Amino acid sequence: MSADVAIAGCFELKPGRYPEFSPHDLYREVAKQALKHWDLKPTDVDGLLSAPSGMTAGATDALSHEKLVAELGLRIPFSETISAGGATFTIMVLRAAAAIRDGLANSVLCIGTGKFVKQGKGAGEQVARMCSEADYEMPYGPFIPALYGLIASQFMAERGAKPEDLARVAVSARRWALRNPMALMHDAGEITVEEVLASRIVADPFHYLDCSIPTDGGGAVLVTRADIARELCPQPAYVLGYGEFHGHASLSEAGPNLIDTGAIKTSADAFRRAGLTHADIDIAQLYDAFSATPLILLENIGFCPPGTAGQFVQSGATDPGGSLPMNTGGGLLSFGHTGEASGMSVLLEGVRQVMNQAGAHQVDKADTALVHVYGGMMYEHATIILGRSA
Amino acid sequence: MSGGLEPIPNPISQPYWDGTSERELHLRECHACGARFRFIRELCPKCWSTDLGIFRSSGQGRIAARVIVHTAPYPAMAERVPYVLALVELEEGVTMMSNIVECDPNLVEVGQRVTLTWEERGDFVLPQFRPA
Repeated sequence: MSADVAIAGCFELKPGRYPEFSPHDLYREVAKQALKHWDLKPTDVDGLLSAPSGMTAGATDALSHEKLVAELGLRIPFSETISAGGATFTIMVLRAAAAIRDGLANSVLCIGTGKFVKQGKGAGEQVARMCSEADYEMPYGPFIPALYGLIASQFMAERGAKPEDLARVAVSARRWALRNPMALMHDAGEITVEEVLASRIVADPFHYLDCSIPTDGGGAVLVTRADIARELCPQPAYVLGYGEFHGHASLSEAGPNLIDTGAIKTSADAFRRAGLTHADIDIAQLYDAFSATPLILLENIGFCPPGTAGQFVQSGATDPGGSLPMNTGGGLLSFGHTGEASGMSVLLEGVRQVMNQAGAHQVDKADTALVHVYGGMMYEHATIILGRSA
Repeated sequence: MSGGLEPIPNPISQPYWDGTSERELHLRECHACGARFRFIRELCPKCWSTDLGIFRSSGQGRIAARVIVHTAPYPAMAERVPYVLALVELEEGVTMMSNIVECDPNLVEVGQRVTLTWEERGDFVLPQFRPA
């Protein structure tokens, strides 16, 4: 069965600080640049999906899609603001695909931007409240790195991952960033496991270099009927398979899903829908807000057996030249983390590799990509498999 | 020990905080299917029954996850660093978040057995755990 939906265009802003742009300004700017880059007219777009703007900047607009539709002069049958944290933009592709299959739309602009305010005195508590229970968790002093640290500590105790293995993930991400001129750490040089372990402890087990880099940015994809994609670009990224999962909304409620996350189910669904196996995947983009999560996802998705993700990354498998290039743009760890739009960066890197548009950091073999993202502290998940052939 | 945010109770969690003010750790039990959970919902998460009871936890558990925090993430925790944030799995099978207190934070590890203790904070009595 051939794919009926594809991604026909991708665009991303260079990550960095954009103090002149408010959260909504950033949406406007990405829309303008993406549509110009793709050389589209208003008649080419009949759907628009966006995410709430301003979440990590402290003032959320949950109706960003209405403003964008109006500003772009559109009058369209399909549009919504979707909110699912890091999973948002992959879920946008799934929602766009469903709308396209249903005949609601043919060509859907999916757009996300973020301004990730540096963790200062006010922001930490505010962001912690978004991911924690007000009564049963906040009194104990949770914050994002500590919540991820809880997940990592159980993974390390139960599955044998060591601090050196987490550090090796950061080393791998940096190697990819050195090849990507857009990455924040492109000119920062290699790092070693020793340097990661020597960097300041943020929350044990995480050192400074185990953590991603807050920045501003954003990007867009155009999701279309497969035949329209073939008219718009030389190499579409066909949507071959996908899966989605929603469950707990706090770590106290995670239970066994703390380290056996929803990724197990979403990736199984994605492989089943695509009719593919792990051996068919050339590259992987696995959401990496902290160095531990790719290890957990590699095992959950089944790229390596439980308890072996550490060995896998230590072998160089995820590095340039390895058997499973991972986070090939530098990851959130070394490309940059755009706050509420970070999931768009992870998706875009998979898309641009399959579309053969990664330029200086194009991986030779990128026929099929698996992208995995999640929202909150690994609460809700989405996997998508993209390929060069329908 | 001072500092730390106070809980924000709601009608569903209020019975829990009534219990802690008496130094009792109360949990929910479903009379229809036996599921055990915290005071965060009015429907059993397994069978959606509203026939729910209350029972008192023994206060014994083990550390399911832990992180050691050296730098205060926000002003409310400034007086408490270094501190341990943990998930404690109670022997009744319910997991809750806590600090691990009355010990060297750097020696706290996943798997250690812990026991309930109490911290007065403002108008509340907050459950905490210490090494058993």
